[in-house]
Amino acid sequence: MRPALRRTAVALAAAAALATATGCAAGPAQVRSMPASAHAAVVDRAVGHAAARAAAAACNPKAASLAPNGPPRVTTGSFMATTIRARGYLIAGVDQSTYHFGFLNPLHGKIEGFDIDMIRAIAAAIFGNPDKVEYKAISDAQRIPDILDGSVDIVAHTMTITCARLAQVDFSSVYFDAHQRILVQSTSSVDSVSALAGKKVCVTQGSDSGSNLRLPSGQRQPVVVSVPYWTDCLVLLQQNQVTAISTDDSILDGLAAQDPFTKVVGPMLTDEPYGLAISKKHQDFVRFVNAVLAKERSDGAWAASYTHWVGTPVQQLPPTQYASTP
Amino acid sequence: MDSDLGERLMVSTAVRARGNHQAVPAGPRRLRLDLRTTPARMRLLQAGLILLSLAWGALAVFTVSQYASAASGVVTTREPLSFDALQIYSRLSDANDAAATAFLTGGLDPVAVRQRYLDDITAAETGLEGVTALGGAGNGATASDLRTLAADIPLYAGEIETARADNRLALPLGAAYLREASALMRGTLLPTAQGLYDAENASLGTTSARATGLPLITVTAVIGLGIGCGLYLASRWLARRTNRVLNLGLLAAGLALVVSLAWLAAAYANGRSSLLKAQARGSTPVAALARVDIAVQRAHADESLTLIDNGGDDSYQRDYQSLQRTLGPGQGTLLTNAQAAAAGSPAESAVAAMVSDAQRWYTAHGILRGDDNSGKHAAAVRSALDQAPGSAATSFGQLSAHLTTAMTVDQAAFDASARDGSSAFTGTAPGVIAVALVMAVGCGWGLNRRLAEYR
Repeated sequence: MRPALRRTAVALAAAAALATATGCAAGPAQVRSMPASAHAAVVDRAVGHAAARAAAAACNPKAASLAPNGPPRVTTGSFMATTIRARGYLIAGVDQSTYHFGFLNPLHGKIEGFDIDMIRAIAAAIFGNPDKVEYKAISDAQRIPDILDGSVDIVAHTMTITCARLAQVDFSSVYFDAHQRILVQSTSSVDSVSALAGKKVCVTQGSDSGSNLRLPSGQRQPVVVSVPYWTDCLVLLQQNQVTAISTDDSILDGLAAQDPFTKVVGPMLTDEPYGLAISKKHQDFVRFVNAVLAKERSDGAWAASYTHWVGTPVQQLPPTQYASTP
Repeated sequence: MDSDLGERLMVSTAVRARGNHQAVPAGPRRLRLDLRTTPARMRLLQAGLILLSLAWGALAVFTVSQYASAASGVVTTREPLSFDALQIYSRLSDANDAAATAFLTGGLDPVAVRQRYLDDITAAETGLEGVTALGGAGNGATASDLRTLAADIPLYAGEIETARADNRLALPLGAAYLREASALMRGTLLPTAQGLYDAENASLGTTSARATGLPLITVTAVIGLGIGCGLYLASRWLARRTNRVLNLGLLAAGLALVVSLAWLAAAYANGRSSLLKAQARGSTPVAALARVDIAVQRAHADESLTLIDNGGDDSYQRDYQSLQRTLGPGQGTLLTNAQAAAAGSPAESAVAAMVSDAQRWYTAHGILRGDDNSGKHAAAVRSALDQAPGSAATSFGQLSAHLTTAMTVDQAAFDASARDGSSAFTGTAPGVIAVALVMAVGCGWGLNRRLAEYR
């Protein structure tokens, strides 16, 4: 495809992630060294990031998206009309191996899940048919490069809205709120990040879960092992090649559902608001998607999908906030 | 031992002390005296010629056994080892391809594909047992390759079964186990199997070169001619001394020498030409085809894995493209090399068909990728699996079938010629021994007749 471009983009993303980690260091590190209660340990990394960059630009990932112009409408000359409708289908970059969010069901060979339901709602709003979608299964590391080079219209891939990512792509409003935790074998005594000192922890390439596993300096750090997919992490855990997997509880629950001899443990390490990623070039599409999401939330479709894929009780999302710019 | 030596010293001192003065000079004087007489020289010549005849027999037998053992080594050890090593590679590669194909079809793997996978694993393990039994001893690189294969094939099979079990439960985890197994296959098993095949093929080449090499036969022939000269000089000397033109015994010995030289040369020439033919029309094309086979199977697994692991990671597709360039056809590519190597061999037409099969496959693969990249994943999977006209599966199937045919007929050509080469030496060793005995008897008898005239 375009390996050179992709490599550069990945390098950029890595550099950005690193910058975020350093930028956030003052905030989260202190929080984590505090006596751990699940609530106190929740780190809003985005807030930390914003504080670090307060002078440059205020960044609140939960209020960074563009407000919709009323209900979803495909206006003449919009990206939805000139590109997506003209093509005949929506192209969505999705996960194929994250149980309950985006996974290839071997029973019928189709990708399904909570993320996929969001995409189907958008396709239904554009075409009146939720099946007019071409799913491009992509890895974590490819999410931003594929948006940047235009090979997908939208990414629905358990993707956290962060300030670093907001510098490269636009996001929809928050459609799911996840928290980073830890998955271990059911016999393990690990119950916090500090118990992982010097142990191997699996994350995917291109996810920023590894950067939230740093212990105060002077302690042995967890050894982060990177693989392409979250299911690859579960393989390593089952083979005792790693002690734990750490990422969003939404993903960990899907892994635990595939192996009853694992458990999700520890406090909520971070707040991970999920958004659908869209190119900065297509602001009209961002507003359109936000209109679709607002409708989904109000007519109960969102809650139905949540119940079907994630379970009950249905999470109460805080009221949607949009960027202050008109 | 010390006491024994001391005793002898004491005896000799005792002999000298007894004053037997004649005893000491007697030996040398008699020898000097004897050598001046013709009968003594004849006796010496007789002994020398008999020894030379027997030595020639020994040398000829040594030469024959060297060539015969190398030639039979080619047939009984080296060639089966090389064949088994290739089987291990090829079957493992096909097993990985079958496992990927089974996955591509969904939760229920087709019976035929599953059977193909099981047969492949069994054949690879049988090949491994064969190589281990024939050449697994020692601590060299080959032995370590064999240990790696013996340890990792069960590991691979275990991961495939886990993948299958998870897939049967409709868990995405199954695909992760398939990726893991495939990485083990491509990262460890196949490179090890390829190393093993390369080593065995190199050994086959070395043994074959030993069976056809010129140096030993040249040295033997030169020594044989030297002995012939010796016989001629001996008979000339005898003729001068005895005024008889012809000594029948020495003549017989000379003729026997010529017979054994001719026999050696014929066996060698025969064996060499058969083995060279085996090389040219058998092992060289098979080795070139094996390289094509390895690349083709890897590319086919790439095709399946891109469709299964369509996580956008295009490393499998990049690998396919680079293999396509390596395969050719074109200057210096594997297919063109195989075509050149197979020219004149029984596989020539099958190899020619392979070239066009490969080009059809590339085209079908291009269409398949285009489909997959534009959202027609199901159509792409159908092209990879269904034997429909113009599908990737059809052209790959034809390529694969022609490849198998080509390798089978060239392998058979190799076997037949190599067996001829090996049997060229049959009976040569007893033959040259018998001829050497004739020479010795001839020399002994011929000189005895002259010696008798002095009595």
